[in-house]
Amino acid sequence: MWNVTEADVDAIAMGAGILGTGGGGNPYLGGLRMKQVLRQGHNVQIIQLEELADDAAVCEVGWMGAPTVGVEKLPNGLESQHVIAALEAYIGKTIDAIGCAEVGGSNSMAPLEAGAVTGKPVIDGDAMGRAFPEMQMSTLFINGVDCSPSAMVDEKGNCIVFGTMITAHAFEKFARDLCVQMGCTSLIAGPAMSGAEVKAHSVPRTLTLARDIGNAVLNARARKSPFVDAVLKVTGGKEIFAGKLIDVQRRTVAGFARGSMLVEGLGDFRGEFMHIAFQNENLVAWKGDRDTRDEVVASVPDLICMMESDTGEPITTEQLRYGLRVNILAIPCTDKFRTEPALKVVGPAAFGYPEVVFQPLPKTPGQGIE
Amino acid sequence: MRRMIDVQNIEDIALGAAVLGTGGGGDPYIGKLMAAEAIRQNGPVELVSVDEMGDDDMSVAIAMMGAPTVMVEKMPGGTEAVSAFNAVQSYVGKPIKYIYSIEAGGINSTIPIALAAKMRLPLVDLDGMGRAFPEIQMVTQSLFGITAHPFTMADEKGNSVVLSTIDNRWMETFARGIAVNMGATTIIGAYPASGKQQKEAAVHGTMSFAETIGRTIREARAAHVDVIRALKDVTKGYVIFHGKLTDVQRKTVAGFARGEALLEGIGEDAGSTMRIQFQNENLMAEKNGTIIASVPDLITMVEEDTGEPLTTEQLRYGFRVMVLAMPAHHHWRTPKALEVVGPRYFGYDIDYSPIDERL
Repeated sequence: MWNVTEADVDAIAMGAGILGTGGGGNPYLGGLRMKQVLRQGHNVQIIQLEELADDAAVCEVGWMGAPTVGVEKLPNGLESQHVIAALEAYIGKTIDAIGCAEVGGSNSMAPLEAGAVTGKPVIDGDAMGRAFPEMQMSTLFINGVDCSPSAMVDEKGNCIVFGTMITAHAFEKFARDLCVQMGCTSLIAGPAMSGAEVKAHSVPRTLTLARDIGNAVLNARARKSPFVDAVLKVTGGKEIFAGKLIDVQRRTVAGFARGSMLVEGLGDFRGEFMHIAFQNENLVAWKGDRDTRDEVVASVPDLICMMESDTGEPITTEQLRYGLRVNILAIPCTDKFRTEPALKVVGPAAFGYPEVVFQPLPKTPGQGIE
Repeated sequence: MRRMIDVQNIEDIALGAAVLGTGGGGDPYIGKLMAAEAIRQNGPVELVSVDEMGDDDMSVAIAMMGAPTVMVEKMPGGTEAVSAFNAVQSYVGKPIKYIYSIEAGGINSTIPIALAAKMRLPLVDLDGMGRAFPEIQMVTQSLFGITAHPFTMADEKGNSVVLSTIDNRWMETFARGIAVNMGATTIIGAYPASGKQQKEAAVHGTMSFAETIGRTIREARAAHVDVIRALKDVTKGYVIFHGKLTDVQRKTVAGFARGEALLEGIGEDAGSTMRIQFQNENLMAEKNGTIIASVPDLITMVEEDTGEPLTTEQLRYGFRVMVLAMPAHHHWRTPKALEVVGPRYFGYDIDYSPIDERL
């Protein structure tokens, strides 16, 4: 159990950015709000899954919508209370603890803020151990946890409770369309789950992991030592490339930023090229020639993370541009995404790369994403 | 006043409500079957006047929402209404004692009867429009500050949602999007209101009025007297055109059936034309290019011989029709109400002029 400090907020934001694998939105604004909430005297307690009672009532809290709108249309600050109260009214029970749906990116902050303003503890874990673009790509939903009931609110005061949703896909569709009508950002609390379900299917200790990754980068930066080694010591995995971005192709398709990039090797990788395909998040990395993708080096659901070579700042796919110098890390994903049923939902084929066979990166027990 | 509604009454109510439905409100045939089946299984439904409601007694509206063009093909599963009712009930602090119809129309006058039979609860003799309108906020209860929420929606697949919004216009926005995702038709439970609120805000006597209209048509047909005249008298309406349908444009857009019908005059209207624009319901009637009737007054096309009301999804080339215009309830004729349901809301840049003052 630990309490979140302002320094933790900075570290979690940095670590969550790296775990975002190019997507997940920028935790900067959420971090600012979180610090403000802490300065107002609120406190948020992070608890371990083991501390949760089997019959506890738990819900995840997270933002849905377009990050580009999120940076312009700010929340009014009351959404967390509103959405949790709406869910509690529907289920007729008090929510005992708040979970995180997606530790990668901006949604690492939403549960912390909700925990702080409602006084409820936040669970150290999430349902991805990274970022993914769609709701059904969750260790909870893949393992049969019901995606309803859930509640969703906007900054105007409107509220929708999804009482029963027959599939996670239906939930995604209903919620996505309503989110657009709400002005492209809305806060979701849900699904309401039991402590037992959360304990069985969550990726444990990912808030602590995000904080540790962030601290590794921040400390390495302060000591002027290599941040890549510092991060890999926490996460496991390896550096798969370092170089300069020489081409980015990007198009917005069906609400997603899809595209690919080409990186020319520098240092140890001089003379080599890496191609990376992305859809919000980085999906597949190939080594090859300038024009050919020869060998798959890493792919979803493992994490392909890009960091700016000087500062170690995580780079999101919308920040990609010619000339950027990057270090590219491949980090092993949670074991919960490495099963046959999970790979159907989050494997390369689910993102349109049926020819890519997922080769799990080797993991060291006790290190990185569990 | 209290009395029982049985299968014969449903025939009359469905027919009369379709006249008040102004082309919308759904196909009466399906609603009639559902209500008749529920009564056969559970016994007749008690219809009570609003005065019978205690001031604190709660009532809730049950309706079908969506595009009538879809409703004729995608039937309700049968359990949605009960699930929508239960969802509202779980939010209302005390037992809901009454069910009511939110709009007069083929299906939305009869679905509440079906649910009342199933729940063995009385139906209140009122509605929220005295006609049919296409959008959620267009109910007289809205004008008196009654909120649509807790607003529940359930589809035939098993999805259900509960909405609460800052105003009833937002409810329309969200609920319409959900209705489209539910397959363009869905059952809603909405506008829970107390007896005190209903006494002030509702259009009273709509169910009996619909039944009277239906019975009048039925009896006039049986007696071989002029159905149209009987209809005109009972509704205090006006025949504004006699013609043949020569063209129908219809699109299902954003969860609505939108379009227009063109008529060529026959008999006393030979040489004239009429254009009727609709969004689920008929909104506007233009004779020879001049608007002669508009929302919130009622515009209904009935078949010239039988007086059978035509819903907008039934319209097709060759129908010979009488166009009736009937005065709207006085709740709809205030400046505040006209902002919600007047011609300008629907995009026509004209002032509303009541039909009884025009003709």
